[in-house]
Amino acid sequence: MTTARRMSASVAAPEGVGIEVAEQFADATQQRHAAQLGMWAWLLTELLLFAGLFLCAAVLHVTHPAAVARAARHLKVWIGAANTAVLICSSLTMTGAITASRHGWRRWMLRCLLATAALGTLFLLLKGFEYYQDYLEHMTPFLDRPYALAGEPATRLYIDLYFLTTALHALHLTTGVAILLGMTWIARKPRFLHRHQNWIEVYGLYWHFIDLIWIMVFTLIYVVPR
Amino acid sequence: MSTSERAFRDPAPAPATIGRPPDYLHESHTLRSWFLTTDHKRIALLYLAAITAFFVVGAIAAGLIRLSLVVPNGEIFTNDTYNKIFTVHGVVMVWFFLIPSIPATFGNFLIPLMIGARDLAFPRLNLLSWYIFVGGALFTLADLIIGGVDTGWTFYAPFSTTFSNTYVIPALIGVIIVGFSSILTGLNFVVTIHAMRAPGMTWFRMPIFVWTHYATSLIFLLATPVITIALILLLMERAFGIGVFDPALGGDPVLFEHLFWFYSHPAVYIMVLPGMGVISEIVPAFAQKRIFGYRFIAYATIGLASITFVVWGHHMFVNGIGTGAAVVFSVLSFAVAVPSAVKVYNWTATIYKGRIRLQTPMLYAMGYIGLFVLGGLTGLFLATLAIDEHVHGTYFVVAHFHYIMVGGTMLAFLGGLHFWWPKFTGRLYPEAWGRISAFLIFIGFNVTFFPQFLLGYLGMPRRYHDYPPEFQLLNILSSAGATILAAGYLFPMVYLIWSLWFGERASANPWGARGLEWTTPSPPPAHNFARQPIVDFEPYAYPDPPADDDGAAHVG
Repeated sequence: MTTARRMSASVAAPEGVGIEVAEQFADATQQRHAAQLGMWAWLLTELLLFAGLFLCAAVLHVTHPAAVARAARHLKVWIGAANTAVLICSSLTMTGAITASRHGWRRWMLRCLLATAALGTLFLLLKGFEYYQDYLEHMTPFLDRPYALAGEPATRLYIDLYFLTTALHALHLTTGVAILLGMTWIARKPRFLHRHQNWIEVYGLYWHFIDLIWIMVFTLIYVVPR
Repeated sequence: MSTSERAFRDPAPAPATIGRPPDYLHESHTLRSWFLTTDHKRIALLYLAAITAFFVVGAIAAGLIRLSLVVPNGEIFTNDTYNKIFTVHGVVMVWFFLIPSIPATFGNFLIPLMIGARDLAFPRLNLLSWYIFVGGALFTLADLIIGGVDTGWTFYAPFSTTFSNTYVIPALIGVIIVGFSSILTGLNFVVTIHAMRAPGMTWFRMPIFVWTHYATSLIFLLATPVITIALILLLMERAFGIGVFDPALGGDPVLFEHLFWFYSHPAVYIMVLPGMGVISEIVPAFAQKRIFGYRFIAYATIGLASITFVVWGHHMFVNGIGTGAAVVFSVLSFAVAVPSAVKVYNWTATIYKGRIRLQTPMLYAMGYIGLFVLGGLTGLFLATLAIDEHVHGTYFVVAHFHYIMVGGTMLAFLGGLHFWWPKFTGRLYPEAWGRISAFLIFIGFNVTFFPQFLLGYLGMPRRYHDYPPEFQLLNILSSAGATILAAGYLFPMVYLIWSLWFGERASANPWGARGLEWTTPSPPPAHNFARQPIVDFEPYAYPDPPADDDGAAHVG
């Protein structure tokens, strides 16, 4: 009952939105600017982290074009495409959470955050299903079992790279979902938006970026070499 | 005040400190207040302690290498032991000393002070990066010493992934972890410099030290992730057989070299640029003259940081990259000389007709300029394709990069340490000992490394400890120089620690230097400035030199 009352209260009268200024900052504007810039700088490093993998994929593509094309045709492009759609939807719900947080609609923000986490989890489930299919089709050359394309060693490099890249992305997404759930847990308390609204903004950048990285992975690993 | 009285350094309020707000060192005294601090100044000292410890380890390994090279047939250590010792030296000195040396200590301490901020933008992240650094580095060090690794600091595939029988995996994990500490430090500096400058502190009012750290931080952000992924790929290949570089599978080991040097060449500038920042502070202060060509030095800094991303191929001239690519990389590498020379000429022009005081930091700075020129010019030899074919993989290369890394970065580090020691600790060190150590290091360094140019030119290969007997004389000379160098390093460790208790108390600005950090007490209060500084002056606003050219009369 208290929950219901709190919900109606928060819908009727949005809470104040703001941030608690940390002692090293002169004011909230400076703190917001610093936090956003810090996240962008971090995302730049993430981009370069994946850039190394993309470079390896490009080099393999140039040195072994036929083998790479053959390997790429074994990837489950439809699962990849479905996952792209799932992540784009999750970016939409994340944007919803940010908008709600700006207006002080905590209840809606929480729902959107949970929906984002759910879509992220759906992505991971689909990804796991895809790995399982790869396993069934003997497309796991690094495991101690027969490999479907054993006749062409260079395909193995590309499949290795596919697993490394998607696993690294999945690791980022898993971390992302964990942070999202932790943040939702903290944000369930009233007055959260009064003190930490910019957490949502800054976290939103990360989520969108992980989404963007997936779009690059999907394009460069699944689609282009086919 | 007698020495014994000074010895009672005050936790209890002594008369001199009554009415004075406690500084960052005396604000609290518990271990907890140090190990859980978020004060950038204390974190800088934590870094200083950590990297000094790593430096000692790396230096001991260097001493063992020089010991082994005294005799030509390599009978002091076995081949395996020698390879492990030299991997300890390389890994510890490059990853755990040189890269964090100046940024993580002086940068951490001084950037907020120089731009008039209360702290870095993310103080807790700053503490976290120290723990990541110490954790990763100790892990690797334990592996290197207990297990041993024989790949050298470069971890070239396929040796590191397939053929080495040593404990490569833990070393890789440790180095990857330490990389995150670099990234977080760089991120913190970039955001701090963008967002935390005091009112009136425009970009072109920032000291060159801040400019160089900005450029260094950009390299941290842009290059470190690439080595992270390259080492992760190595790790996966070695640990799980998920190959990318393995030529047995059609993979490309040269690809690893590209990824490795895409980081590791810019990493040279991570080591060199902050040193240039230190020299750009010391030289105007001890010439009492406005720095010559401020904007040119600032632009040259950004220029160096940019060019450094497109010259990595000059490490690979003899490994089969195409001739066309080699020529392009060679020409681009020559281009590095331009911004480097801009800096050297500007420092020299700053000294010209200045009121020069040859105190310890200035001696180090002069040593730096000379050695950096020598290191830089021999770098041009190496950028020349035809000469590189001849001297690649010889001691010529070893001598070249030690002139840049030790002659450059290490001298700048020690110069900066002496220059800002009064600010860090509130104490002055004994000047005479400082000068003696500066001379010892300069002489010891040259005796150690100049013979290596000759050895390399005569064809002595690097990385082997078994060499033809005709090279023995120069090797003995080099090892003898290393003992002088070691003595030169020991002196500052002793007298700087001594000065913590017995050194004379320093004023806020003992050198008559300009810059915001000298306007606050030594040591500074916990929040750096009693009041928010407002900057309405240009950097290096030293008084103009007298027109009648009587500079010699002012020598102190």
